[in-house]
Amino acid sequence: MVMLRSTFGPRRVLLLLLALLFFVVFLLPRQARALLQTVGQPVAWVVSFPLKGFAAIDRSVMAVWERYLALRGVEEENRRLRREIQYLKGQNDQLQALAADTRRLAALMEFKERTPVQTLAARVVGRDSTNWYRAMVLDKGELDGVRAEMGVVTPAGVVGRVVKATRSTSVVLLVSDPNNAVTGLIQRTREEGIVEGTAEGRARLKYIPLLSTVRAGDTVITSGLTGGFPKGIMIGVVNRIEKEEGALFQSAEIVPDVDLSRVEEALIITSSNPVSQSDPGGAAAPVEPSRREGR
Amino acid sequence: MKRALYAGLVFGLVPLQTTMLTYVGVGGIRPDLCLVATCLVGFLAGEVEGMMLGLALGFVQDLFSAGELWLNLVTKAMIGLFAGVAARHLASATPMAMLGTILAISALSGIIFLGTVRGAGGLAEMGVALVSVVFPQAVFDAVVGAGAYWLIAGRTRLHPTTQVGTVPFAG
Repeated sequence: MVMLRSTFGPRRVLLLLLALLFFVVFLLPRQARALLQTVGQPVAWVVSFPLKGFAAIDRSVMAVWERYLALRGVEEENRRLRREIQYLKGQNDQLQALAADTRRLAALMEFKERTPVQTLAARVVGRDSTNWYRAMVLDKGELDGVRAEMGVVTPAGVVGRVVKATRSTSVVLLVSDPNNAVTGLIQRTREEGIVEGTAEGRARLKYIPLLSTVRAGDTVITSGLTGGFPKGIMIGVVNRIEKEEGALFQSAEIVPDVDLSRVEEALIITSSNPVSQSDPGGAAAPVEPSRREGR
Repeated sequence: MKRALYAGLVFGLVPLQTTMLTYVGVGGIRPDLCLVATCLVGFLAGEVEGMMLGLALGFVQDLFSAGELWLNLVTKAMIGLFAGVAARHLASATPMAMLGTILAISALSGIIFLGTVRGAGGLAEMGVALVSVVFPQAVFDAVVGAGAYWLIAGRTRLHPTTQVGTVPFAG
């Protein structure tokens, strides 16, 4: 049987369209990004409904799992917790005394330094749709005032920054992703550097001067020099110092203070402008390391 | 029927990928359902439909990923196209052939991603990513894709397009 093939069949037209797409994407990247962002808004809005539906099912399944099936290890856990309570009681007495001192100092420091920022609470509804980025999807988007480059924190510290925002969702690149960079400050030595993620899921503070006395256990906080994060939010603790022969700088491996695999809710820093404590719309500002240590 | 299926894939697969699939992952690596679906449709319905579905799925996937907005759009379209072309050149379509095809396509796609996403990370970091992300994901994708093909082809008598112009996956 003879098969008729049209010169302008749908296959050829589509291949032509694909070639055109390549042309636009690679030769006009900015315009292509703007076009895709515009087209993507309504699509993302529609997709956000099944996304939130799946997230709700996910939470229900996890609740059942934790409530019933995970009870198997409770007896052993109970014994361990009793031992921990005894230990913590002793520690608590010591800390009570320290806390009284700290409260006075914290109140003084708060008056002078603490600047609350405007934040927006958001729930984590998913993880990155590929295996290539350490990112998570939040249930707040442009309609809630979320924009790209905004910082995301939890009371424990920095989570990451918003890289994409659609109408009702936003994508947050975690601080442990190699593509992320946040300016950091070693709290003890006051030296600055760039905090980048590593392939192993940790973070690394780069460009520390060779003469720095940084050591394992030092706390790294945000420096406030780049947008998104105010100064003084906890990033992590130095785990290891790395010095290479002939290098101009040293770097330090950091263990992020936030358990990034277990974040369920986070605060998006919508504005670094101060907000009054009585403002009902402004959520509580993240706790700074100085306050956390003083607890 | 077919349009409804494709719409369901476009609007349902990425939400599933970003939420429930976290528990299926091994060592933090999850199968890329969008890649598998694109391959299967390209394989069974031809390169045109594979490419179109790849474009749509890649676009939605990019909206919920931290990467550039064109990365999955372009690669998934290419994957649909390659799968369709590969299917027409296969002597016999079996789950094993599907396994090999998806393994190769996923690995190739992963290497393209690696060059784009981690290109500045140096050879050592790229080597780590190759072993810890690209190959495990390719194997994962291939196993899921071959299993899905075995289920679909075994129960619906659907087989790959073998001649230009034939559309066996008509709904």
